[in-house]
Amino acid sequence: MNRVVAIARNTLREVARERVALILALFGAGLVGVSLVVSPLALGEGRKVVTDFGLAGASALATLLAIVLGSSLLHKELDRRTILAVMAKPIRRSEFLLGKYAGLWTSAAALLAGMVAITVALLAATSRDVPWEASGALLLSMAELLIVTAVVIFFSSFTTPLLTAFFCASTLLAGHFAEDLHYFGTHGASPLLAAATEAVYWLLPHLEVFNARGLVVHGEAVGPERLAFAGAYAALYAGALLAAGAAIFERRDFR
Amino acid sequence: MAPILPFSTAPRHGTRGTPNKMKRMHERLEEHGNGRGPRSVLRAVEAPELLVLERLSKVYRDPMTLRPFTAVGEVSLALERGEIFGLLGPNGAGKTTTIKMILGLSRPTSGTVRLEGKDPWDFAARRRLGYLPENPCFYDHLTASEYLELTGALFGIDKNECRTRSAELLQRLGLESHAAKALRKFSKGMTQRLGLAQALLNRPSLLVLDEPMSGLDPIGRAEVKQLLREEKGRGATVLLSSHVLAETETLCDRVGILNAGRLIEVGSVPGLLASGVREWEISVDRLPPRLADSLRAGGHATTRVGSRWVVLVSDGPALQEVLRSMLAESAFIHAVEPRRRTLEEHFVAALSRPVPAPEEPR
Repeated sequence: MNRVVAIARNTLREVARERVALILALFGAGLVGVSLVVSPLALGEGRKVVTDFGLAGASALATLLAIVLGSSLLHKELDRRTILAVMAKPIRRSEFLLGKYAGLWTSAAALLAGMVAITVALLAATSRDVPWEASGALLLSMAELLIVTAVVIFFSSFTTPLLTAFFCASTLLAGHFAEDLHYFGTHGASPLLAAATEAVYWLLPHLEVFNARGLVVHGEAVGPERLAFAGAYAALYAGALLAAGAAIFERRDFR
Repeated sequence: MAPILPFSTAPRHGTRGTPNKMKRMHERLEEHGNGRGPRSVLRAVEAPELLVLERLSKVYRDPMTLRPFTAVGEVSLALERGEIFGLLGPNGAGKTTTIKMILGLSRPTSGTVRLEGKDPWDFAARRRLGYLPENPCFYDHLTASEYLELTGALFGIDKNECRTRSAELLQRLGLESHAAKALRKFSKGMTQRLGLAQALLNRPSLLVLDEPMSGLDPIGRAEVKQLLREEKGRGATVLLSSHVLAETETLCDRVGILNAGRLIEVGSVPGLLASGVREWEISVDRLPPRLADSLRAGGHATTRVGSRWVVLVSDGPALQEVLRSMLAESAFIHAVEPRRRTLEEHFVAALSRPVPAPEEPR
């Protein structure tokens, strides 16, 4: 466990000292600021606009951070051969991968939490009412990041950064539209297409499970059952992906 | 089938039960004392060979044509405890590939590696291993101290102990004033020194160094050689690959020469060079001019150096004859010394011999 924590801490340091991370964090803060400026134009719905803008922006930027920095994390290690000195130490390859995953997730989750905290603080300052219901949306987004980060680590365990970024973006986009894809596939004429869609539907991550912004902007809290279900689903999906990634990484030769 | 080189026949260092050996055994027992049963510890201490490679091969395939390429072919070798072993060979001979298989970084196509009896693919086998990669590259977002802290954590070294040991090593390697400097600002020599520090942090029983002298100035090389001798004195085994043959010659107890993936020679440096006597040098006083002329006429270079004469004789039978004639003329023989080949000359000669073609897999 200590070895996983050591790799995770190193990954966190690596991401934190990347200029891209700083730019994304500043962009995120700016985005919340802009939403506050434009909110008076929403004819009394300003609070909803800021909440929606803040939560959606936080989730999107955290996902972007995970994909942009995560897709090159492993490749950089192999390309610069920093991995040689590390993997000659008494550490399992699965522990190394898990450490990278934990470090990347923590970095993305920190950006997410920071942006949500700024949104909540601005709303509390302007309306003197703390929107506690945002905490449910934050937890769901953090659970979603468990899957997003696992997808990134899975693809980066065997392919190039560019392909990793492409596969991740495709998977995550399809994951948000999994229900629609299933509907159109199963209501089509071809039974073959229906079967293929069914298979893809079960393979894709169902990311709409983690989207509770509609509830939160209307002042409703996310129920504990939904939080528990989403958490369990994210843990299982991410666990399966990481196990597959570790199995692939275990077979790799470091040349 | 290509011939397999025999396992090491080099003399062991010390004999069983000598005070030095007993002291080392006690030190190892103390070091391994926590968390391991006494039987397994004794087994590890008693095993004569620290590292055994048995018919180790690595075959790569061209991704486009799928044609096989044998990077390492049936290498067999055993390293004993407390020796410095030099793995020599030209570029592309298979040194780094062999080292990577020893470290569990690359999986052998066939053959086995046993590190203290364990497969290095098992992470626990790498607990007492130190490794310096060729042209090392470390995380440039970290400082030297942070990198050693990470290394310590991976070895499971206690934080305070790691801090103390890191400070010692940074001082020993002349990096104490650069401890807080980002690694991206390190020169090649400094990176090499940090590489040695991270390899020594866990007090390894096997130290694997891929080109350890690379990037170091002459003073740095001398310091590294001294450091490696100290590690040997501590009981560590050192496996190093190098192109700097003059330094390998004075440092290594044994060397192995790899060429085209084959281990073509293994032995102690004096042993390998013993058969390489080029000529004999006789230093002699009171050599009669008549005999000097006769030796010159016989094809032996004879020159006067100060008050003495130096005669060079090319082979053993001629040496006997020349010595007899000198004694018959009452010349005073000061010394008879063989002029041997250097390791570099031996290395070049070994590489010029044809290498048996490896059996290519289909």
